[in-house]
Amino acid sequence: MGISPGMQGGGFEAGAAIRAATSTAKKRGEHQFPGKLFVVEGIDGSGKSTQLSLLHKWLQSRGFGVVFSEWNSSPLVKDTTKLGKKKKLLTPATFSLIHSTDFADRTERSILPLLKAGAVVLCDRYMYTAFARDVARGMDREWVRDLYGFAVQPTVAFYFRVPLETAIGRLLDARDGFKFYEAGMDLGLSDDAEESFRLFQGRIIDEYEKMIPEFGLTVIDATLPIEIQQTRVRQIVKSHIANAAELRMQP
Amino acid sequence: MRETYGKILPGMDLSHVNGKLIVIEGTDGAGRTTQIELLKPWLEELGHAVLDTGMTRSTLAGDGIRRAKEGVNLGRVTQNLFYATDFVDRFENAIVPALRAGFIVLTDRYVYSLMARAIVRGADAQWIRSIYSVALKPDAVFYLRLGIEQLVPRVVFSRGFDYWESGMDLYPGQDMYESFCNYQTALLAEFDRLSEEFKFETVDASADVRSVFSQLKVKILGLLENDSRKQFVSMLAMRANGGVMLKAEEDAIAAAARKHSVTRDLELVSRPFTAHTSSGNGNGHSTIQNLKP
Repeated sequence: MGISPGMQGGGFEAGAAIRAATSTAKKRGEHQFPGKLFVVEGIDGSGKSTQLSLLHKWLQSRGFGVVFSEWNSSPLVKDTTKLGKKKKLLTPATFSLIHSTDFADRTERSILPLLKAGAVVLCDRYMYTAFARDVARGMDREWVRDLYGFAVQPTVAFYFRVPLETAIGRLLDARDGFKFYEAGMDLGLSDDAEESFRLFQGRIIDEYEKMIPEFGLTVIDATLPIEIQQTRVRQIVKSHIANAAELRMQP
Repeated sequence: MRETYGKILPGMDLSHVNGKLIVIEGTDGAGRTTQIELLKPWLEELGHAVLDTGMTRSTLAGDGIRRAKEGVNLGRVTQNLFYATDFVDRFENAIVPALRAGFIVLTDRYVYSLMARAIVRGADAQWIRSIYSVALKPDAVFYLRLGIEQLVPRVVFSRGFDYWESGMDLYPGQDMYESFCNYQTALLAEFDRLSEEFKFETVDASADVRSVFSQLKVKILGLLENDSRKQFVSMLAMRANGGVMLKAEEDAIAAAARKHSVTRDLELVSRPFTAHTSSGNGNGHSTIQNLKP
């Protein structure tokens, strides 16, 4: 990770930002909690939520203590996010900050204590969603990564890779139209929601692709049949929890 | 040109941010709000447009923070980020647009208070600095400093103990008085450290309100003198000469202006503005005459 072109000299800026990024990376590597954290990532329409839900049911049926946490679901922050979206108050910076606040609340009150207690925690979207979306909105790459310096490194982060057209086809089949921020309409890329969605999600895919080597994301081909994807996901998860008898609630 | 502490937010053009950003910092009970209430009308009388702003006053996150603080469920990281959301919303939608329009922005606390609170709550110092690296460097930071012995009676005897002001989230199990003292002492130490790092101008806040106000006025006039007064004088001279001003004349006016004391500045800046607002017809010419050596 280099220093972005947005940076200037003087004050605490450059050196401190680098130190922050390093200490962040160090902290993320240190997670030694007994629990396990599996997260799914990918653009809307990649099928990641379906896969996570199938994984959830499978883990439960095998007697694991499993808890699920969804992106953007903190009760403490929800009203603020809703206000910002409804009244279109959010800029790329405040969009980024309010989502990190939501994530912090879930991390502090749910994810971290659960991992300490030895649960299997499943997250539908994780910090990588912020890295992809916020950077696609023009936020500085390092700044966003530093912002999430408090986050725990997942045991496995699955990235459901799907061509843009496949995802759009799935979404249009399932519902009519796109929401304002989801389509990146705040960026003024296009007045047409579908076209804006296409351009914005294209940028997000580019960011995800860069993160595969950076964070060691596990890529799943999301164009394959659902059953085949799930088999692959379960195999990988199994390899991380096979010997973890303490994660089980019941034999 | 304006500078930030490192990062620049998307869409933020720093080339014409010409107003003055004046920060009033200090712990709880140091009299920041009182001073801003005095400074604002004074500056407006001098003819400056003033925006005052402070924590949790954002349209986006103000109410959310207040609601979250009603309970005791607000985690430390969450709290820091919620405040950062509030700050950036005000920064992008109020502070920067006002500065761009040539306003004086008086802010009741700035990123330093937010850093101090975060650090005292165990946040990584580099992490919180990185978040606030998007903030503009202000033109001045006045740190109203109050020792712990004066701070306790001022805060506690006027409005009683408040859960968050007492840092009860940090020291559960202590009574509010113990917690308050521990929390405010830790904050003071952090403020003193930040004061050195960011070159705050310390003002002794244990003095009475009027004397603190006078000190602040002198400092602010000194700050405004450099460019805004000079610009104003140039503008008057331009008018006096039918829009054309000779370089030598400009220099002479500037040199003359430098000789005058702060008190004189006050008269100089205030008089023509008052004339404008009352009659709509400034007598700038005579002001220039007065200035000639």
